[in-house]
Amino acid sequence: MNNFMLKPLGLSLLAASLGSMASVASAASVAEQAEGILNKQCVACHTREGDNQWSRISYQRKTPEGWLMTIARMQVMHGLEISDADRRVLVKHLSDTQGLAPEETDGYRYVLERRLNAQESLEPALLAEGCARCHSGARFKLQRRDEAEWEHLAHFHLGQYPSAEYQMLSRDRDWFPIMMEKLVPMLGEQQPLQSSEWSSWQQATKTDMKGRWSVAGHMPGKGDLTATMVVTPLAGEDQFSVSMSGQYADGTPLQGSGKATLYTGYEWRANLTIDGVRMRQVFAVRDGQLTGRMFNRNDESMGADISAAHMDGKSTLLAVQPGYIKAGTQSELMLVGTGLSGMPTFGKGVEVVSIRKDSDRRMHVTVRASRNHEGVNAVSIGKAKGVELAVYKDIDQVNVVPAYAVARVGGNGGSTNKLFARFEAEAWSAGKDGQTGTADDFRIGMVPATWEARPFDDIAAADNDLGFAGRLDPRTGVFSTADAGPNPQRRMMTNNAGHLTVTAQVQDGNQTHSADAELIVTVQRWNNPPIP
Amino acid sequence: MTEIHKHWWKPLALTGFVATLATTLAGCATAPMDSASLTPDSKPLIPGKEYMIMANRPHQIHVVEMENDTLYTSCDMPGDFGPGALIMAPDNHTAYMLTNHYKHIYGIDLDTCELTFHAAMSQAPNERTISMMSFALSPDGSELYSLQNPTILNRDHYRVQDTRLSVYKTADGMNAQPVRTFDAPRQVTVMATANDGSLYMAGADIYKMDVHTGKVETAIPARNWQRPLYAPPDVLAVWPIQSPRNDFTILYVTAKFQDETYDMNTAEWIYGYFNVDLETGETTTTDFAEFTEIFFTGMRSPNDGNLMYGVLNNLAKYDIKEKKQLKTSTLDHSYYCLAFSHDGKKIYAGGTFNDLAIFDADSLELIGKLELPGGDTSPTTLQAFVR
Repeated sequence: MNNFMLKPLGLSLLAASLGSMASVASAASVAEQAEGILNKQCVACHTREGDNQWSRISYQRKTPEGWLMTIARMQVMHGLEISDADRRVLVKHLSDTQGLAPEETDGYRYVLERRLNAQESLEPALLAEGCARCHSGARFKLQRRDEAEWEHLAHFHLGQYPSAEYQMLSRDRDWFPIMMEKLVPMLGEQQPLQSSEWSSWQQATKTDMKGRWSVAGHMPGKGDLTATMVVTPLAGEDQFSVSMSGQYADGTPLQGSGKATLYTGYEWRANLTIDGVRMRQVFAVRDGQLTGRMFNRNDESMGADISAAHMDGKSTLLAVQPGYIKAGTQSELMLVGTGLSGMPTFGKGVEVVSIRKDSDRRMHVTVRASRNHEGVNAVSIGKAKGVELAVYKDIDQVNVVPAYAVARVGGNGGSTNKLFARFEAEAWSAGKDGQTGTADDFRIGMVPATWEARPFDDIAAADNDLGFAGRLDPRTGVFSTADAGPNPQRRMMTNNAGHLTVTAQVQDGNQTHSADAELIVTVQRWNNPPIP
Repeated sequence: MTEIHKHWWKPLALTGFVATLATTLAGCATAPMDSASLTPDSKPLIPGKEYMIMANRPHQIHVVEMENDTLYTSCDMPGDFGPGALIMAPDNHTAYMLTNHYKHIYGIDLDTCELTFHAAMSQAPNERTISMMSFALSPDGSELYSLQNPTILNRDHYRVQDTRLSVYKTADGMNAQPVRTFDAPRQVTVMATANDGSLYMAGADIYKMDVHTGKVETAIPARNWQRPLYAPPDVLAVWPIQSPRNDFTILYVTAKFQDETYDMNTAEWIYGYFNVDLETGETTTTDFAEFTEIFFTGMRSPNDGNLMYGVLNNLAKYDIKEKKQLKTSTLDHSYYCLAFSHDGKKIYAGGTFNDLAIFDADSLELIGKLELPGGDTSPTTLQAFVR
C-alpha cells in the first residue's frame, strides 16, 4: 500500500464525503443502512458486541470530520474498501449517534472552519509536546474516549509512526512511558466518553433549517457582506439545497447555490458555488442562529466569518456595519438581522438622524456621534440586541490580524493549490486614560490600510525572499503566493519560500499608524486532512 | 534579533527529516523476497583499492572507486528502497543495508552482487518491527546486532512492544533468525562495536552493551549528564557512519547558561561531540564550536583529531581545541552524510539528490562531482573502505 494515497484523499475527501447524501437516500433510514455497512464491512476487524455495538467504534465520539478521517484511515492504512456513498452514510450515522455536543466543540471550531493561522495554547504543556507538535491540538480536543480508548490511540501512534519517539520534544524524555502514565489518564479524565452535555444535546430540540435566513458577514480583503440564504429540504435525512443572494459593502453582488447536510443536529456542512468560486460552509446551528465560516475550497485563506438568523418572525440583531463611528462625525450604518422594526438606539452620544429601511432584515441608519463621548455602545432595536458600536475619538493603536501568518506555494502544475495570506488592520482606542495597553482600551474594528512587505531579516534580504515568495496587494492586504517547485534562480535551487514582514499603514486624520505582522511563505501541505 | 530567533527554522529541519522517516516507515507491512542473485554482470573489487558505497532509488548500491572518483559497479537490492543505511563488514567486501521501509537488513557481497544475508526485523506474523538505523557488526563480522522497535498488530488495535536487541549470525544466510535477544532501551539510533566486542549505542545516553549477557551500562551520560550550567544536550544521530579513525562520534547541541538564573537569552549555544574510541574504549565529551547551524553528520579528520567537519547546508571545518570555525564551503544543495578518504585528503558528501560531492579536505574546495544512475539517495550512508 502506498502512503501517498493520503495526498489525493486529503481535502477531496472533505468535499466528496461531507457533501450531499441525497444520492444515497432510500427507503431504509441512515441508521439502518449504517448498521448494515458496519455489520458487513467493519466486522472484518471490529468485533460485534451485541446489537449496535462494535469494538473500538462504539467507544468514541467525534465530529463529522473526525469520523471521516477515521474511516479514511481504515481505507488508506488497513485496506478497507468502501464506496463514497457508504462512507457518507457511516459518517452521517456515527456523527449523529456518537458526535459531540455543541458546547464540546466550543473553543476548537477554528480547526473545522479551516482557520489555518489560529494559534493554539494548550495546557498543560504536555498536551502540546505530546500531541500537538505533530497535529493541531483541536484534533484530539474534538474527541471523547475513555482511558482505555485513549491508550489504544497512543499505541496506534507509536506503532504506526515509530519515529514519533525520536523527534524533538520526544527524544529529550522517556516519551512513551510519559504518554502511557501521564497523558493517557489525563485525556481519559478530561475528555471521557460520556458527558452531561452530550446527554442533554441528544434530548434537545434541534433547529429546523428549512426556510429563509438573514446573513451578515465579513471577508478579509473584501469587507462586510449581507445576504439571504434559502434552505430547502431534499430527499434524504438532513439533506438540503441552499442558495445565497446578497452583496458586499462595496456593492459587488454575492450569488450562489449548492447542497448541504446537517450532522449531529447542528453541524451544517455545505458545498456551494458562489460567484464561480467553490465555497464551503462550516456552521454551528443553535436556537435558530448559526455562526461559522464560509471559505474558498481551493484557497482556504479566503473566507468570510458568517452569522445568520432564521427569518421565522423573531426579531434578531446580527451586526451593525461598519461597527464603529468616529466621535464628532455623521455616517450611515447598516443594521442587519431579522424582523427589524421600530426605532434603533445606538447608546450614549449617538443620535439617529434618519432611517432608510430596505427590508425587515436590513436597516440603513444615519447617525451622528457627539464629539464628547467615546466607548463601546450597546445597539438595540425593539427587543433585539447583542450588537455593539465602537465610538472612538482617535485611533491610538493598530494591530495586523493575523500577527503571524503562513502562506504556501502551490500550483505550477503540481497537485496542491496555492494558499494565500490575507491581512487586516485592526484599530484600537486607548480609551479614557489615553494609554494603550490598559484595561479601558477598546477595539474599534477593521479599518482601511495600505500594505507593504519587506524582508524579515538579513537572511531573507540576502535570499531576495521579497522578490521570489509572492506579491502583497498594497490596497487589499492580500498576499498572492508564488509558484511551487524548485527555482533554479534561487540559492541552493530552493523553492519560493520566504520570510517577510508585512506592514499596515492606517491614516486617522493627520496621524499615521503602522503595525507589522510576520509572514512565513513555505512549501505545500502535502498531507492535508480535514482536521490538520 | 537573537541567535535563537535567527535559527527558528532549524528544529523544523530536523522534524522535517523525521517526518520523512515517518512517511517511509508507514509503507507496506510485507516485504517481497527477491531472488538472491540480482546482477549478473557484477565486477569484482580489486584488493588494496579504496572504494565508497552509497545507495539510492529505486534499489541499488553503487560502488565508487576513490582514486579517480568514478563509478566502479552497481548492485541491485531487493524490496522497496528506504532508508538505504549501509555499513561495511570487516571483510571489506560485504555490505549490509537496512531497507524495505526500515524492516529488513540484507548482506551483499560486492564482488559478486550476490545476497548472502537477510533478516526480517519482525519475528512473528502479526508483528511489525523496524530498526531506526540501528545495526552494527561484531569486529570479526560473524554477528550482526540490531536494535528493534516491534509493534503487535492485533485485529482492531496495536500494542507497542518493548524494544529489543537481536543478535544474528551473519553465516545464517537468507532467513537468519536471532540467536540471542535482549531487552534494550527505547529511543536508540546508531550503534558501533568496539575492538573488544562491546556494543555502543546512541540513545538517551551513550550506552555500552555486553552482547553476550545483554547487560547495559552508560558509557557517556547525555540526557543524564551532570555538567553545571549546561542544558541537557539535544542529539539526533541517525547515520551509522564508520570512521577511518575507528571513532564512534555523536554530535550534540547544548546551551551553557551564564549563571544559576538559567536565562536562555544570555546562554551560549554550543556544538559538541561525544566520542568513543573503538580501539581503546576511551570516551570523551567535548564542546567544539558555537552553534550557528545544523549539521546532520560530523566526523573528525583521519589525520588530525583536532579537526571536526560537519555537513548539511554548508560543509564546515572546525578547530576543536580553539572552538573555532576554520572554513566553510557553501553547497549547491543539502547533503546529509559525510565520509573521508582513508588518507584524510578528500571529504565526500552525499544524501538527498543522486550525486556525490568531493571536496579537498584542507581547502574545502569542490574538486569533483559524481552523478549516480538512479534516483535520490535519501538518508543513505556513505562508507569508505579498502578492499
